[in-house]
Amino acid sequence: MTYSKKPGSSVLVPRRTLLKGGAALGLSTALGAPFINRLKAQESHPLAGESIEMNILGIAGWLPSSLGVQMSPLFADYVKERYGYDVSFQFQEAPFADLFQKAATSLVTRSQEFNIIISDSQWLGALAQPGWILQLNDIIAQNPNLDIEWYSKAVVDTYMIYPDGSQNIWGLPQEGDVEALFVRKDWLEDETEREAFKAKYNAEMPRTFEDFEALTMDEFEKIADFFTRPDEQRWGFAQQYSRVYDFATCAFNNFLWSRGGEIWNPETGQVTGVLNTPENAKSLEEYKRWLKYCPPGATNIGIAEGIDVFTQGKVFATIQWAAVGPAMITEELQGKVMVVPPPKHTGPSGEAKRIYSMGGQPWVINAFNDEQKMRVAIDFMNWWYQPDTALEFAKRGGNPCDKATLSRDDFNDINPWNRTFKFMLEDGRSQDFWHDPKYSEMLSVQQEGYSAYVTGQATDAQAVMDYIACAQQQILYDSGTAQDAPPDMCAMTTL
Amino acid sequence: MTDVTLPPRKRSRFFENRAALVLALLAPVLTFFIVFNTIPTLWLIGLSFYNFSLTSGMPPDFVGFRNFFAILSSKNAIWFDLSRTFTFVFAAVTVQTLLGGLLGFLFWGSKDMPGRRVALTLLFAPMVLTPVATGTFFRFIYDPTFGIFNYLSRALFDSGPIDFLGDPSLAFWSVLAVDCWMWTPFMTLMTLAALGSVPTAELEAAEIDRVPMWRRLPLVIWHHGKFIMMLGILLRTIDSFKTLDLIIPMTKGGPGQNTRLVALELNKQAFESFNMGWSSAYAVLLLLISIAMTSVFIFVLNLRRRRESGS
Amino acid sequence: MSRLKEWSYYGLLWLVALIFFAPIAWIVMSSFKTRSDILAIPPKFFFTPTLENYRELFNRSEIFQQIGNSIMLSLGAVIIAVIVSFLAAFCFSRFRPKGTDFLMFLLLSIRMLPGPAVILPVFLMYVAFGWKDSHLWLMLFYAMFSIPFSVWILKGFLDGVSTRFDETGRVNGGSWLHIIFKVVMPQVRPGLIAAFIFNLIFVWNEYLFNFIIGGVNTQNIPYALMVGTYADGGVNWTFISTMTSIYIILPVVFIYLFQKYLLVGMTFGTVRGEV
Repeated sequence: MTYSKKPGSSVLVPRRTLLKGGAALGLSTALGAPFINRLKAQESHPLAGESIEMNILGIAGWLPSSLGVQMSPLFADYVKERYGYDVSFQFQEAPFADLFQKAATSLVTRSQEFNIIISDSQWLGALAQPGWILQLNDIIAQNPNLDIEWYSKAVVDTYMIYPDGSQNIWGLPQEGDVEALFVRKDWLEDETEREAFKAKYNAEMPRTFEDFEALTMDEFEKIADFFTRPDEQRWGFAQQYSRVYDFATCAFNNFLWSRGGEIWNPETGQVTGVLNTPENAKSLEEYKRWLKYCPPGATNIGIAEGIDVFTQGKVFATIQWAAVGPAMITEELQGKVMVVPPPKHTGPSGEAKRIYSMGGQPWVINAFNDEQKMRVAIDFMNWWYQPDTALEFAKRGGNPCDKATLSRDDFNDINPWNRTFKFMLEDGRSQDFWHDPKYSEMLSVQQEGYSAYVTGQATDAQAVMDYIACAQQQILYDSGTAQDAPPDMCAMTTL
Repeated sequence: MTDVTLPPRKRSRFFENRAALVLALLAPVLTFFIVFNTIPTLWLIGLSFYNFSLTSGMPPDFVGFRNFFAILSSKNAIWFDLSRTFTFVFAAVTVQTLLGGLLGFLFWGSKDMPGRRVALTLLFAPMVLTPVATGTFFRFIYDPTFGIFNYLSRALFDSGPIDFLGDPSLAFWSVLAVDCWMWTPFMTLMTLAALGSVPTAELEAAEIDRVPMWRRLPLVIWHHGKFIMMLGILLRTIDSFKTLDLIIPMTKGGPGQNTRLVALELNKQAFESFNMGWSSAYAVLLLLISIAMTSVFIFVLNLRRRRESGS
Repeated sequence: MSRLKEWSYYGLLWLVALIFFAPIAWIVMSSFKTRSDILAIPPKFFFTPTLENYRELFNRSEIFQQIGNSIMLSLGAVIIAVIVSFLAAFCFSRFRPKGTDFLMFLLLSIRMLPGPAVILPVFLMYVAFGWKDSHLWLMLFYAMFSIPFSVWILKGFLDGVSTRFDETGRVNGGSWLHIIFKVVMPQVRPGLIAAFIFNLIFVWNEYLFNFIIGGVNTQNIPYALMVGTYADGGVNWTFISTMTSIYIILPVVFIYLFQKYLLVGMTFGTVRGEV
């Protein structure tokens, strides 16, 4: 796999410097030029001649969000040329864990503080239910450009629909994201290492994408074990275990789903009896067991910490979101990293399966935007999904989700993780957890539970799962989503 | 001394009326109080009887005492949070008072130390550092892979990696240590103030009478300084009860629920889950606890008044 | 005390001060390092300093707005609070209106509640009245939060100022306004300065209220620190250390300049001279 640094993908330059400097250098015009058919006469547009300031709220420290901003001058050029109005963007941000808080405290005042929001997928319900964001069905009906063929049903389910299984569309994919395995190609291809491995385990280490595609966790464990050398300050593996936000949940769900478990029954809202099965408790034990191949302090690893240990050369492989690829493959690591599908799990049924967590974020539009801002927001969406824009987004390190872009012949070569991204985006390989408006409470219950278990504060996996299932059942029962109250056994559960 | 002889000037008639003057002086504070405290508190108490979630899109639904019942009967909510919080308060205040008091005594006797003012400024610096930054940076200092504490412990004692914030048996105490680092200087400040309030004449008299140091302490120093020391202890008690933005960046209440203090739980329920009814009830319970603590405060302050009128 | 003993005593005190300052020194040092120098193991005590982090910090588009907000909100709130508190404390001290004790008690109770409990109903109120994300209303709320402590400190000091001054002033024909501001106020200067600094430090470092009832226009530096923890390449250590280094300058200068007032201030008026 080759990865050449492209002039347009300036992920190493801080975003604001780029924004300022980029605009000054005419970078935007240069890149914008091919998008605009300058011969086309300006269409008549209700906003022609106006000057509008838009606010986008995005995720702090999240490259795909900042790409949306870096690319906004291109949109400004586009509308100036085509519709004859001026638009400028202000970018506001908050970290994953605080962004919903920021958005909700603002939207509840019916404020236009943020005109367009990059929402995390699981917030759709919480944003849609109180009517804070615009339902997009009508907009899509009026704007054929937005009626897009997406790469898979997973895209629609994760980023667009609430409630699950309905036809109500609330968001449009901004960044598609899946779990990928980032491995140190240079360690893997070192011939002395390969021989040592062969001598020790009587097996070959995988080498290609296809090798990894066929890899199971049991086989992968040998490699992780092989590279775990604390005396050299090196470890075999890292994944997220952090208590913050959804970090432990996403990593654990990889185990739970791949091993054949479910987190709830979306139809009835039933959690008890679905989440707290003995098999899922076993998955939790497995999830914790992998800690022994992780560097010390791994129970604090979230997205950023995972990047730190990988880029500082402490670990051989890490399961990480494809979205942070540009940060994972730093200048020093160019050509030394391979991005492959994460291993399959062999569950109790004996079947090796791979169902990992979906990441990524949709765009959502503030329902309280005035007419002008709404119009700009819709123009922005129309522009964002143009083939040229989607391609530019991909070239800068983003992950678009439309079938047309992903089916391009050259798509796999744009970024080192693109092939894995496409692979994992296919239906059945990745899925998202609940989009219920109560997601935050349910999430915090299970984050506490999983964190307590992996750090050793709680020792009985089954008891932890029971506790989580009961608490979540109660939350959903209270909110009317679940039909049944928590069963009697719940009176006994505690963390 | 200020010169109090004045040129004759026309007095404002309004302010000559005593009642009007009292009212005028208190009006700003009362306005503030009513707008920012009375109204919100009544609102809070009212809301605590409703089931109200900002994200459900439903209007508030009156449920009587059900929120309170849910909080008090839940095995995992308030009792654990409170016991953790009180452990935190007790340990933090004890360590800070003892250590801060000791440092205060030491610095008291150093009036002629070269650069004393700079040294005290350095000592006081932790308490003016933004808690958010303190928390984030201590996460780095504590980090098992990149942190300096682990490097030192490896280099000096050849110990294995210590996961200060991830190990359930350490996390609580690691957070506490940072709180002590931040606030011990405050108790030093209070001790210095307390010692400064001891009349020099009495100290000199004790010196002349050759009262031994261990008897001078309770007889002279504690007698005069205790009011300010108690005040310092109470201020620390109140503030550590509220600890929030130091912990958020360090552990976010984890691992598990190990560092989940009342303020963190309330913050999570109110501004992450937006359960306004439940959170209001939780806040009302905290308000009752606070009022109990305030009463202690007032009691101690009244001791001073009694002492003054007695002497 | 022998000279040697004295020097080792001073040496010990300096050592204590330096130990307490060490983590802050580490932060300040980090602000002059590159990211990989910060993360280096073994830690680098000697390195080639770089100003790149500072340059980058001041290239952030919102940085000046955030610094400006921090200064404006904290100064504005504390000045309002100290004036309002002084008037109230004067009234409590001189006229002891009915309910003084009860009012003082109520005022303190505000300070005792954890932040989220205080801000929860205020947030709902601000939402209902449309006061969110407004400098004025945020400043007033901060002022409210600074009042109780100021009233308590100032009342202690005012109790220590003999009423003789008031009386002389009255006899000489001075108006109350004149007495309050020209005669009494200068005598409680240490209390005013102590109240000012303590509350300034509080508002200066305040995060939660700004996050909840502030908004895009009112964001201050602690908010920026919380929000800027993560950058595209992981935890943004350079930003955190640089921002913190700059941000701590003002309070540290204050405690250096007004050290003696702080000490006198914390005696709550029981001491009039130097401490």
